[in-house]
Amino acid sequence: MTTHRFGTTRRQVLLAGAGLAGTLGMPGLVRAQAAAVKVGVLQPLTGALAQDGQAGQLGAELAIKAINAAGGIKSLGGAKIEAVMGDARSTPEGGTAEVERLAAENVSAIVGGFASPICLAATQAASRYDLPYIVDVGVNDQIVSRGLKNTFRFAPGSSMVSGQALDNLVKLNDAAGKPMKTVVLVHEDGLFGSGLAKLLQAELPKRGFEVIDTIAHPTPARDMSNVALQIKAKNPDLVIPSSYYGEFVLLARTMQQQRVKPKGIYAVLNGAASNYRFVKEFPEAAQFVIDTNHWYDPRNATAIALKKEVEAQGKFFLYNVALNYSAMLLLADAIERAGSADRAKIIAALETSTFGGHIMPYGPTKFVNGQNTGAAAVNTQVQNGDIKVIFPEAFSDAKAVFPVPA
Amino acid sequence: MSRSGPVAAYGPILAVALLLAMLPVATSANTILNSMVMALLIALAGQGWNILGGYGGQFSFGHAVFFGTGAYVTALLQARFGVNAYVAFAAGIAAGAMVGTILGYLSFRSGLRGSYFALVTLAFAEVFRILANATAFTGGAAGTLVKLDVRPENFQFSSRAVFFWIALGLVTAVMLGVRFMERSRFGAWLVAVRENEDAARALGVDTLKVKIQAITLSAGVTAAAGGFYVQYFLFIDANLAYGTWISIEALLVPIVGGLGTVFGPLIGAVALHGLAEATKAIAGRIPGIDLALYGSLLVLAIAFAPNGLQGLMAKIGRGLSFGRAP
Repeated sequence: MTTHRFGTTRRQVLLAGAGLAGTLGMPGLVRAQAAAVKVGVLQPLTGALAQDGQAGQLGAELAIKAINAAGGIKSLGGAKIEAVMGDARSTPEGGTAEVERLAAENVSAIVGGFASPICLAATQAASRYDLPYIVDVGVNDQIVSRGLKNTFRFAPGSSMVSGQALDNLVKLNDAAGKPMKTVVLVHEDGLFGSGLAKLLQAELPKRGFEVIDTIAHPTPARDMSNVALQIKAKNPDLVIPSSYYGEFVLLARTMQQQRVKPKGIYAVLNGAASNYRFVKEFPEAAQFVIDTNHWYDPRNATAIALKKEVEAQGKFFLYNVALNYSAMLLLADAIERAGSADRAKIIAALETSTFGGHIMPYGPTKFVNGQNTGAAAVNTQVQNGDIKVIFPEAFSDAKAVFPVPA
Repeated sequence: MSRSGPVAAYGPILAVALLLAMLPVATSANTILNSMVMALLIALAGQGWNILGGYGGQFSFGHAVFFGTGAYVTALLQARFGVNAYVAFAAGIAAGAMVGTILGYLSFRSGLRGSYFALVTLAFAEVFRILANATAFTGGAAGTLVKLDVRPENFQFSSRAVFFWIALGLVTAVMLGVRFMERSRFGAWLVAVRENEDAARALGVDTLKVKIQAITLSAGVTAAAGGFYVQYFLFIDANLAYGTWISIEALLVPIVGGLGTVFGPLIGAVALHGLAEATKAIAGRIPGIDLALYGSLLVLAIAFAPNGLQGLMAKIGRGLSFGRAP
């Protein structure tokens, strides 16, 4: 399933030999045919973020497989895309070291990064070589606001996502007849949790909600009983948690054990609320949890087929798979239009990209200062052991259960 | 503490530095330069730890507190107040040294030794990490970004070779300083404190003062590594600055290389990082293989070379000369 960098089959040797023979006769023509386009796939494959990184790598690999099966880059005479894998080891230093290596191996572009600190360091290292870099997830707004010409983000940043989360919450609440009035915020005290909590504290009252408590917790946290008990004491209509995977799973299970049942759990960029592993392992705790997050377009035929393929491998179809799959297709489209593996030409092609062949609920891409302004998060809800898109309606495959039946 | 001449004392350091300085001439591969810069950065942080831990015998588990302070002050002065990068870097070193003085005064005056001192430093690093993570001034959990503006007057260089030479210059300067310290009266006092603090006091050494001076120096050197980190990556957050990773790296390299020796941290850093990089190149793309080897080397070093790699080399050297003896 992967493209092996070192493996050379007999057929490839023969092909190379034929190419060499041909080069002597018609240089220009044959050289274009033989050269594969090298693309860096940078993910945190080891360390704390390995689960996400491996899912991202899988998405990029599947996209490359699909592109090559469909005939490669046609404007380059059907040139194949060849992946060069990089392990960012879940640290910015690891990401930088791998960008250096990928640049030395002459990749035409890099896709990936996952975590914001890795993306910040890796995009900057790549900018030294004017090496195009497509950020797959990294939601920190500063990634695309530094004026790096080589950096493109396909997915929405955190201010876009939190703005949409607020708007969608109001719409959901209005449509249900405004059952939610009081809110408790639970957030991790790290990267996005604190910032998001501050934003929500400021914005929710303006939209008719009352924030009755804000509870911070560290990452990692071993016990969420106190948080669950505090929520129980406050008895809010709605709980808005922003935590990483382990902590939210712990919180949801503890709330279930302690019989804390708010009318709804509405998460923003949550590590677990839209993760199939959580849904599969703890279906009762996960039932009816709503998340605002990156998600594939559930009406897209390619996405549905891809999900089947990933699940057939015994892996979970996390949003990282869909995002990296799409980002790699976006890059292939840019190389196709650039008609070249040249880095500067690919950057120029990405700047004018209007690519609609991805599997995200976005529309065609449009980059302004490196950010895809067509990107959007959606609301997902866990319903009977599956994750459904409930909002916006143009992409939804289920109706929202809001508020949760008592 | 043999009283050898200045050539024998400082010559080897300068020779090694000159030899290493040729590296960018020999190779233009940025992958190698980048990993060497990281190795030198860790060697610098480790040399800081070595002054207090190797020479003074005061084992700190929280040198991140100095690394992070150097990093944050360097970054914040530039990002928030528009201070020149070199001034900010110097201020970062000063701030780190000051934190060292305060931490040393508080813990040594209370007579904390051994594992108690180690625990206090660990706690300080954690407190700083949580504070940096929680306050808006440091950028909270999102961290602080230094504006990307590649110009030499901003301490930002487009060439990795320049960063390499600066890192090498810092490491060399500190090594010369440590050699000077080793040969000075202060160095002798510090070693006396390590060997037997009560005996040293009985002989008239002001042990409190010596230890506070040592932690100040130690902190300043490790803070320089932090400031350099910021200039290299232009980004710092609480976990990078005050996380346990740097506390561990800073104490590992002198222990592996040779505790209380001038070359120990450099040897340790180059050996550990060089080996990790070499495995990555040879073993190919099995994720984490280099980390596994890193761990194995560590176990081997501690099992078979309790005096560090330098001690091991000296032992082998002695063995060879015995062999040649009639």
